[in-house]
Amino acid sequence: MRIKVLAFATFREILGKEREVDLPGSANVKELLEALAATSPRFKEAAFEPSGALRDYVLLMVNRKRIDPEQDLSRILAEGDELAVFPPLAGG
Amino acid sequence: MIEITEEEISLERMISRARSREAGAVVSFLGTVRDDGIESMEVEAFRDAALAELEAIRAEAVSRFSLKAAEVAHRTGSLPVGESIVAIVCSAAHREEAFSGCRYIIEELKRRAPLWKKEISGEGGRWVEGHGR
Repeated sequence: MRIKVLAFATFREILGKEREVDLPGSANVKELLEALAATSPRFKEAAFEPSGALRDYVLLMVNRKRIDPEQDLSRILAEGDELAVFPPLAGG
Repeated sequence: MIEITEEEISLERMISRARSREAGAVVSFLGTVRDDGIESMEVEAFRDAALAELEAIRAEAVSRFSLKAAEVAHRTGSLPVGESIVAIVCSAAHREEAFSGCRYIIEELKRRAPLWKKEISGEGGRWVEGHGR
């Protein structure tokens, strides 16, 4: 299945603004992030602790709704879903 | 009106839209690029998500503080020192509600709207550490 990935700020500089990732059906959010890390060592370093845990400044949305990186990484994705990856917000 | 724009913000037009016969107070807030030894600020938005969040914040402020009108405009793109970044205008029957509404919108915007800033100086760029989560 194809998932659209949008990246902002620091993560846009690493991944580009938008890309599509091909994943096996029933993959979850963590597996998508790991697939991104596998294609980009810079993303791996920016997004993951050496232990493999997601860094606490990685914020996520699925289909424009925020998800909790501590609880929702096991959320199963579906064809056409959109994941947004960004650091803490700094507008205004 | 909620706006995310690369164009200059017209506070005058926002104020003129917020005026009404029922409003006895119009409060405006303008956030600008401060010279912290930088040349400019690059502002980036997750545009659709930010518009939706700003609309939600606006509706909350209108309902909590009985505002007659509330306007929010946020710039994106490259903004030199002194330029406007964000403008908020609230009108209400009395000043207390208008001040509170304006304060609520800017604080919630900073906390909740998917927007980011990068300071650009002679030495390169540095993302402003965000506190909104």
